[in-house]
Amino acid sequence: MNETEEVFILSIIEARGLSKSFMQAVKEPGLKGAFKHLLVPKHVEKVAVKPLNLSVEAGETVAYVGPNGAGKSTTIKMLTGILAPSAGSISVNGINPYKKRMENAAQIGAVFGQRTQLWWDIPIVESFSLLKDIYQIPEAVYRRNLEQFTELLGMDEFIHLSARKLSLGQRMRADLAAALIHNPPILYLDEPTIGLDVSVKQKIREFIKKINEEQQTTVMLTTHDLGDIEDLCKRLVIIDHGSIIYDGSLSEVKSRFARNRLIFFQIAEPLPLLLEQLAATPGMKLVQQSELEFSVAFDRYEYTASDVVSRVMRQGEVVDFRMEETGIEQVIKAVYDGNLELSHSGNGEVAERHAYSQA
Amino acid sequence: MPIARLKMYRSIANRSLQNVLAYRNSYVINFLAGTINLLAIYFLWKGIYSGRTEVGGYTWDQMKTYLLITYLANSVLSWYSETAISGKILDGSVAVDLLKPIDFQSARFAETLGSSLFEGAQSLILITVFALCITGIAFPGSAHVYVLFIISLLGAVLVKFGIVYLAALVCFWSTGSMGIVWTRIALTNLLSGALVPLVFFPDWLERLALMLPFQSIIHTPTMIFLEQAGTWESLRLIGLQWFWGILLWLAGKAMWSWAVRQVTIHGG
Repeated sequence: MNETEEVFILSIIEARGLSKSFMQAVKEPGLKGAFKHLLVPKHVEKVAVKPLNLSVEAGETVAYVGPNGAGKSTTIKMLTGILAPSAGSISVNGINPYKKRMENAAQIGAVFGQRTQLWWDIPIVESFSLLKDIYQIPEAVYRRNLEQFTELLGMDEFIHLSARKLSLGQRMRADLAAALIHNPPILYLDEPTIGLDVSVKQKIREFIKKINEEQQTTVMLTTHDLGDIEDLCKRLVIIDHGSIIYDGSLSEVKSRFARNRLIFFQIAEPLPLLLEQLAATPGMKLVQQSELEFSVAFDRYEYTASDVVSRVMRQGEVVDFRMEETGIEQVIKAVYDGNLELSHSGNGEVAERHAYSQA
Repeated sequence: MPIARLKMYRSIANRSLQNVLAYRNSYVINFLAGTINLLAIYFLWKGIYSGRTEVGGYTWDQMKTYLLITYLANSVLSWYSETAISGKILDGSVAVDLLKPIDFQSARFAETLGSSLFEGAQSLILITVFALCITGIAFPGSAHVYVLFIISLLGAVLVKFGIVYLAALVCFWSTGSMGIVWTRIALTNLLSGALVPLVFFPDWLERLALMLPFQSIIHTPTMIFLEQAGTWESLRLIGLQWFWGILLWLAGKAMWSWAVRQVTIHGG
């Protein structure tokens, strides 16, 4: 008992048995259904988030991922205090975000990819100086942050423009700066790089990384962009159908599930016999593109790459080959597709339930 | 820290003023629309007065003054503030406001004051030009009437904000704001005295109008400016404005926290 209480105090974000369900209107199809609903509205309870526990330590960067409708945004909204939980408790830096919305708002920064907090028709820099008054940021801190952010995010080319004139990439950079101008200890990012080009993505990631390192800002990020996760987050939390199905380190999930390797071969002349042999070998899988081009997927715990390459080379001339590593991308895609079932056991250890057969 | 909070809301008002100033073309158009509107009303009433010296106790000169003051009082807190509040609710950007350590109602009031300053200045120019072009405007003789008048204009803004804010919050339960805004405008125009002076109403309607908050918006400032209310009566009317202003503010506060509870429970 003592131990859990201690954890409760130490973690900057602590959710216990947190859940959320909505009442959803059910309408029967057609005009008749619409009338029926008008007279006797029927609702069903839809569970968006099933009771979940989550603790995030100060200074951590956590990627919170899952397919659309998995409950990511609902969780973030509850953590930011703009959605009341149906059950469970939340403590963010010792504050219940829903009960003390204003106090909580003062200690967090948030960027919701689709929405802007900038004033539409006045220069960006005016929005920033308004935030200075709203958060009561001391002049020196404000100056320093503005200068640093402007440089890091390359904002000087558009800081005097109004938000309506900005491109999406510029707007996102400005929004990110606006979310961090008061040095919040906690930063929530909901799809911060959605729709951005590679160079802007890179800039944003580097910026977040730097802020996290320098100020120990706790970052919680939802994204569909796996580059965001790989670049920024050491910890990965996967949610699906309202439940957390994995909570652990990114490297662990990678080494555990990125166990299959893929080697692509291009050969000089057709070798039907070899291909037959490879296809029949347990632990290997053959993907044939043409007579002269094929890939072999194999379990790297069963075979080494040289095993596979020498098998091919023994039988014929290899024109070209290249090795592809299964990234986190494939793992998460497999989870989204429901091909892979992960379960977590408290301290982030992964247990496999499904046979790992599909390559 | 109340001073810091005050500074914050002043800052919001300042940005709101900047925001309205950004629409250069739209205020030229607004100015034009206002001029046409004022001209139309002027000639309509001129027609009504042709061959008469008095309508409902108002001489033509008094009526001209009434029209100009009505125009001024009505122009502050107009379309911009109205749509800004309901727009936030309808497009869901109210969520962004919930993420800020500011009181939603006070922030909107600060915004309203900022934009009203501009709208007020704009129509002040327009009615000054009008007053110079037409004769017979009944200007009050003594300075204290002007002071009372200005105070009553502030009171009018407070009451009008209360009504507009409540109407905007209704948008939490609807998908469009047009119906609500038009209803709000029709009710306000009729019951505040913006359409016709309240004395023109049948007795029962006049009495009803005087019991409602709307009359604080037009009836009160015009009565004061036309010196139809003496000093004590003016002070009573201003006190009534504050009574309504505070009552509506509290009602807005209650409705907001209820609406937010609904939204945060059911999702926005």
